Amino acid sequence: MAGAADGDPVDEPAVGAPGGGLGPLRTDAPDPDADRPVVVVPGRPALVVPGRPAVVVPDPSAVVVPRPRGDDRAAPSVLSVPRPSRRRRVAGTTARALGELLITLGLLVALFLTYQLWITDLFQARSQSRLHDRLAESWHTPAAKAPAKPSQPPPATRPDPAVGQGFAVLHIPRLGDDYAPVVVEGVGEEQLQEGPGHYPGTAMPGETGNFVVSGHRTTYGKPFNRLDELHPGDPMVVEVADRYYVYRMTRSEVVAPDRIDVTDPVPERPGVAPKAAVMTMTTCHPKYSAKSRLIVFASLDKTVMKTPGGGVPFASGEA
Amino acid sequence: MYGWIYRHLPGPTPVRVLLALLLAAGVVTLLLFVVFPVVEPWVPLNDVTIRS
Repeated sequence: MAGAADGDPVDEPAVGAPGGGLGPLRTDAPDPDADRPVVVVPGRPALVVPGRPAVVVPDPSAVVVPRPRGDDRAAPSVLSVPRPSRRRRVAGTTARALGELLITLGLLVALFLTYQLWITDLFQARSQSRLHDRLAESWHTPAAKAPAKPSQPPPATRPDPAVGQGFAVLHIPRLGDDYAPVVVEGVGEEQLQEGPGHYPGTAMPGETGNFVVSGHRTTYGKPFNRLDELHPGDPMVVEVADRYYVYRMTRSEVVAPDRIDVTDPVPERPGVAPKAAVMTMTTCHPKYSAKSRLIVFASLDKTVMKTPGGGVPFASGEA
Repeated sequence: MYGWIYRHLPGPTPVRVLLALLLAAGVVTLLLFVVFPVVEPWVPLNDVTIRS
């Protein structure tokens, strides 16, 4: 019975089956169960068929009953495989349910990561394209008249955007020519999902004081993903309706998330009145974490008026 | 659970497989475009602002 113990029931020679060498059948009529052995298990009522050999088996689980191949639903034989106890079945079902639950949780986490890292980019791309369209529309119908003195640039009109409205385009040549996210007003969850957000109450582009912008680092189009690659002196160009403000990076630092003083009119100097136009960009740090903030400071270098056919005043990577 | 759902799908095996795939796609779409955007603010991985 060595073969039965290794769990290979199909090829096991039948115990007591015709031709098994235990004696011929002596029945006149064809026996429908002729291919089944008659097995006597100790402790159970013996089922003896006259004319068929009886086999005494010490361990019922070791008995293999041959069945016609290809028919798993044959009538139950005299010997049925012992069913697991109720307790074992409950334990099996519980283990299976727990396993499926854990697999489901794992899939949920993986799917949420997929959502964060790729699907949110789709949302942001759609918002940005809408913001670009609206901004281009509003910039093409300028209310300002031609300047009285052509040699002097006209005074800037301070944008007064509603929360969620786009009002400027940020160009950072080091991050590529096509890097041009629209900056929206407000730093709420909803605004930042559309693009870099301007802190309400801080200076507007070009204005004396601190123009503070926050942007996502790893999700929603990750506009500020590569902020750590900038070098001091790199231009950051803020495009508004009629001109470009060219800021240059001065320094960067990593601070705790509650360091509100980096947004002061003079960064990190609370209460000091500003004399220069500076810009501060904040994003999360390290990547994929909200533990600290990466802060990049810049100061206004010059203002370039838009000319017909003229582009952003810096080419890719140009310092 | 998955076995239970599969057993309750009607039709022969190819139809069942197709229905199972459609069901999975529906659940994934619902999660990505409805559930996750709603629960996202409670997952503080995305905070980029400075607040006191």
